[in-house]
This record gives sequence, structure tokens and C-alpha cells, in this order.
Amino acid sequence: MRRADEIENLADEEVMRLVQEGNPRAFKLLYDRHGGASFSLAYRMVGDRVNAEDISQEAFLSIWRSRARYQPDRGSVRTWVLGIVHHRAIDALRRNLVHDKRRASAEGIEERHEAPERERTDVEAARREEARHVRDAIGELPDEQTRVIELAYFGGFSHSQIADMLEMPVGTVKGRMRLGLEKLRKGLREKVG
Amino acid sequence: MSVERHELFEGDVGAYLLGALEQVEERRFEDHLQECPVCEEEVERLRPAVQALPRSVWPMKPPDSLKASLMASVEVDVREREGRRRTRPLAWISERARRASAAVLDVGPRAAWVAASVILLLGIASGAAGLYALDGVTSSEEPRPPASRVIQAKVDKTRVPFGSGSLVVPALLEDGAVLRVHGLRPLEEGSVYQVWVRRKGEAISQSLFTVGEDGEGAAAVADDLEGADAVLVTREPAGGAKAPGEQAILRVPL
Repeated sequence: MRRADEIENLADEEVMRLVQEGNPRAFKLLYDRHGGASFSLAYRMVGDRVNAEDISQEAFLSIWRSRARYQPDRGSVRTWVLGIVHHRAIDALRRNLVHDKRRASAEGIEERHEAPERERTDVEAARREEARHVRDAIGELPDEQTRVIELAYFGGFSHSQIADMLEMPVGTVKGRMRLGLEKLRKGLREKVG
Repeated sequence: MSVERHELFEGDVGAYLLGALEQVEERRFEDHLQECPVCEEEVERLRPAVQALPRSVWPMKPPDSLKASLMASVEVDVREREGRRRTRPLAWISERARRASAAVLDVGPRAAWVAASVILLLGIASGAAGLYALDGVTSSEEPRPPASRVIQAKVDKTRVPFGSGSLVVPALLEDGAVLRVHGLRPLEEGSVYQVWVRRKGEAISQSLFTVGEDGEGAAAVADDLEGADAVLVTREPAGGAKAPGEQAILRVPL
């Protein structure tokens, strides 16, 4: 069995390989690395700590119990983990447990903030920098594209619900989603390039 | 695949990636993806934009109770898995004895089990020492993780006649524990169960929880239990109370 300090230095994919073998220390490290981002995403979607905690717990338990499903060739561990959290949060929103249409308006999805965490480590600083970078790219989209993307991704609303909410044809909503993603993809590439 | 069919679906790419299609539409789109390389390529091309969205969220610190509760569940899984492994040698010997007796004695399945039991009982006396030694070898090669503690709760049966509970204190964590309860009544709207740690006579709030229709629930105890003498559960108004509003209905002595 690997020593704890040896595991600490492994890349995510290696850690995930140990998690797939049922190693609880590796799972703990996986949580330490991605639990914050997962909780933050869940909180952004449902807007309260209790439900965000439930969603994060369900997501990580499903990762532990179905750990064989991670496939490295399909993307990074972080993307995979956040994808699972997103699906769980969408399920919760659609079960109407926490769906509050008052949060959504023609202006988009209200983003609730708590007092920002102090940047204590280089990793935390890097995460904030990453968030700033993606937010800048989103900020360059026309408002109407940002709105439909946020209502869908963070609000868990279907295209027809968004069309009702914004009083526009479904085809327009779908078109804005696609155009917005296209522009965001280009924006992110330019920032990296 | 026809061009008309492709045109029916190509407008759905963005909504699909954002999870905004209805379930039936999503299934239909995924079927289409199997046969349409153009849409498949478009989905893969735009996927990085969707994958970037969660990274735009400002990072927050999750509550400590989340990690405590998760690791307690993981440890329970690990214990169960180890428990199953440990019972296997006996099951294997039992099955081999049954097969051997059926073959040697040429008897039916029921008689084979009886014979196998006799062989097993005879074998246990001589084999126990060997199994014990084998276990010892395994232990020296791969040390067992330290065991978690499970402490049974004492319940006020006059108020919660069917209630029971236990506190799992995982060994993998420096502090924190998980309280599991059974047979508690779901509370009316506006009320919650509240967990406290009692230290030197002072009750410190830990978490709030509710139970499902089956009366089952779980709650995190995030505090270090060092120096505490009990974990308590009371019924309080929604949002929780600053101090217990009633005598504990459930108490875990530490």
C-alpha cells in the first residue's frame, strides 16, 4: 500500500486509478482537490448551503461507489467530477426540491455570493484566476446569449421553460445557446492562445 | 442518414450540451448522434465551452461536516467489503467440502450438505490454527486500517418509542463523526432535529437534520469529540436553536 505522502504528489488520473481500486485515502485526496469546486458549483445552482451539501455528498458517494466508470480518454478527472455534480444538481432542481423560479428572471440566474475565501494557497489563487479567465470570456458574449446559457446550465431549465420565461420562440432559444457556446469556445481559445 | 433527418437535429446541439433538452428529446438526439458524424463532431467541438462553465464559479469552502460524513460512509463501505472478504475462506471450504462429499459419497444435494457439515466440523478443529496463521501472514504484509468506533445511542422511549441510533467515529479522520438514526418520526413543517456535542455542561450545535418517511436519517458531527461527554439530539424550530429547547430525545454517551 502506498504511503499517504506518496499519494499526495500523484496526478489526478493516478489518484483516480487508486480510487478505482477502492483506496479510501486516494478518495479523500480526490475530495480535498475537487470538493471545493463541487460544492461551489452546487451552491451556484441551488443557492443554499444545505442543498449544496446534499448534492455534493450524493455526487461524491456515487463517484466512490461507481468508481469504475471513469475513463481517462474522455477528459480530466476534474471535468468528470464537476459533470457528475452538475447532473445531480439538475436532478434536484427538476425534482422541484429546490427549484425556485423566483431566482430566475429575464435578467438570468441570480448568483449568490458568500464572503470570498481568502486565498491561502497557490492552488486557491490559481482556481480564482481560472474563474476570472472564464468569466471574462463569458462576459464578452451578448447578454441574450449569456442569459439562455446560464438559465440552462446553472438554472437547470429546459429550452421550452426558458422560451416561456423569456417569451420567445423555442428555436430562438436553441439558436442563442448554440451561438453563445460557439463564441465562448472561440473566446476561451483566444485567451489561452 | 438523410439530410432531412440531420436538419431535424442540428439545432439541438447547444441545448443538448447544456442539458436543456427534455428527456425524450435527449434520448432521440443521442440516437441520432450514433448515426450522424456531423452532429457528433459538432458536439465534441463545442463541448469544451460547456466544460468551462463550472470553472467560472467563485470557489467556496465546503462545510467540514461534508467531508466527515463522506469519509464515514466510505469507511463503512470499506469495512463491509473487508467483512465479506473475511467470510469467503469459510464459504469456499464449505462449498469444497459439499462438492467433495457429493462426489465421494455419491449422494443428493441435501445429503451432501449434511456430510459437508460433518467434514467441515471435523476440519475446523485442525484447520482453525492454519487459518489463524494465514490471517496473521496477511496482517503482517498489509496492516489493517485502524477500526472506527460505533457507539450505540440511548433513547428516551417515552417520547420516541421506536427510535434508535448510533454514532460512527471514523478512524480515518482526525475528528468528526456521523450520527445515524432509525425509527424517528418525521417532524411537522417548521421543526427539525438538532445535533449537539456536550462538553463541560455546555451544548454546542453541530448540525440539523430531518428524517424520511422510513424514519431514517443521518447527521454530521463536525467537532472534535475530545473532552466531550455526549452527543445529543433534540427537536427544535426550523433553522435550529442556540441552546437545546428540551431534554435530549437521544443521547450518545462518550
